[in-house]
Amino acid sequence: MTAIGKTPPLLEVEELNVTFPTPQGAVDVVRDLGFTLEPGGSLGIVGESGSGKSMTSLAIMGLLPPRATMSGRVRLAGRELSGLTDRQLRRVRGDRIAMVFQDPLSSLNPYYTVGTQIEEAYRAHRQRVTRRQARRVAVEAMERVHIADAARRVDHYPHQFSGGMRQRVMIAMALCTEPDLLIADEPTTALDVTVQAQILRLLTEVRQETGAGLLLITHDLAVVSEMTEEVLVMRAGACVERASAERLFSDPRHPYTRALLDAVPRLDDEVGELRTVHGRGPSPAAGATEGDER
Amino acid sequence: MTPAVPGPQVLLTARGLVKEFSVRGQGGAFARKRVLRAVDGVDVELRAGQTLALVGESGSGKSTTARLVARLLEVTSGTVEFQGDDVTRLSGAALHRFRSEVQVVFQDPYSSLNPRHTVERIVTAPLVYQGRSVPGGARAFTRSLMERVGLNPDHSERHPAQFSGGQAQRIGIARALAVGPKVVVCDEAVSALDVSVQAQVINLLRRLQREEGYSYLFIAHDLAVVRQIAHRVAVMHQGRVVETGDRDALFASPAHDYTRALLAAVPRIRPEWEAARRARARTRETADGKRETT
Repeated sequence: MTAIGKTPPLLEVEELNVTFPTPQGAVDVVRDLGFTLEPGGSLGIVGESGSGKSMTSLAIMGLLPPRATMSGRVRLAGRELSGLTDRQLRRVRGDRIAMVFQDPLSSLNPYYTVGTQIEEAYRAHRQRVTRRQARRVAVEAMERVHIADAARRVDHYPHQFSGGMRQRVMIAMALCTEPDLLIADEPTTALDVTVQAQILRLLTEVRQETGAGLLLITHDLAVVSEMTEEVLVMRAGACVERASAERLFSDPRHPYTRALLDAVPRLDDEVGELRTVHGRGPSPAAGATEGDER
Repeated sequence: MTPAVPGPQVLLTARGLVKEFSVRGQGGAFARKRVLRAVDGVDVELRAGQTLALVGESGSGKSTTARLVARLLEVTSGTVEFQGDDVTRLSGAALHRFRSEVQVVFQDPYSSLNPRHTVERIVTAPLVYQGRSVPGGARAFTRSLMERVGLNPDHSERHPAQFSGGQAQRIGIARALAVGPKVVVCDEAVSALDVSVQAQVINLLRRLQREEGYSYLFIAHDLAVVRQIAHRVAVMHQGRVVETGDRDALFASPAHDYTRALLAAVPRIRPEWEAARRARARTRETADGKRETT
């Protein structure tokens, strides 16, 4: 932990609001959200579908769809991001922030080798890099995420990798510019449980090596409990509770957090009647609501 | 909900199931065909009123096995015995009868329900297709079916898009129950649902089994979900069943290395946090109880 006043927080989000126009009127998908993340720290944003967790990460990255309107402030290491032009933002993204998404196959270009794509990511953010240097960085990055035989695999195409290996490639690409902040949006949701465990271990390991901060977006409470020091629970676009992981999981204060934790199926549980969350709160996509059924 | 030992009668027995698919090898249109053995000698035994879970990772053959048992796919070899018949050889009227006895609920409720049809048309379609009359008339039949699965019977004229994901899955369950089956095959039926909704649908399936005596063949990749619903569990890996057992025994002392690896990979909330949370919840409940009685 750094002394306040000396080093600004790694990430500050204040009064973030995101609104989408719909035929039925404007829908607030993120409402008055605020949080800070200290350098090297980790925060998990957890919520069900429609909670606004992914919109929050897109807003931070400046990747919201054009029809969305956003207000509020996002600061990275004291620097305001919300007013930047696309070009300035592109420099910050990837250079200081890197992102890992759920589906690596749709984030990788099938026509280029993974090596070419890692090199490109690196060269886009570093001036005067020779091809050979970039290639060395790509191989090293792939070695760092434990892809065996990296010097050969660097010339393979995305379809030649399994789902878990592709996610390793994405992490290698994210890390090659040595970012201060890694945003991982459902990074293991599409993966088998044994592969998920490997990728989560890898994320923890590279954080320890690089000191990067982590913002983890997930629907999975157990994953977040293993991965981040702090947890923020979102529902219907707003924060319902934020606390250290230990406090949140051992002493949840908000009724929604309590109900959510009750609903998680467990491996070691005596099977009783599973508790259910009553009502889903105002759904951003107006219409159906859940939860009155017995 | 303790599994009965030695247990009720066996309702359905599959022996030596094999399913091969021919796939094109690498090298484009002229490549030689390869044979992929998706299911490789699987035995399954389903008992009346109980749930057998087939659990495994992607590519393990669990869904293919379920489809063979439900005769949605033809076996390469092996037998499926149900009420004295070998299901794999049924045709005509006998196959129709089998379809009334064994129904399937799929993972994605929206894509498995016709978006242009009303609930009434969807849930009565299996009867109409089988040339059977709808007992008590379509409207009354639909209303009672909707009540059984916890849906508002006044919504029988609505279309699938007007329901939430959990409600749409209840329609899928209602459609399966419409023909009065003995066996319901749930193919990742709760996998796509949010945790709170998932708990509700699991509760619904358990209630229906308790009250109406269905047998479930429950396909899932999530071990924690399986733990909530299964009486017996078969773990699949690379087309084979590596271990079968009563739920509690299998979770408490898995015999096969793969089962152990699978269990170890499941993310979980720290036990001490869980214990603290439960202790607090119990204290709250007692306090509430006292307040109510005084």
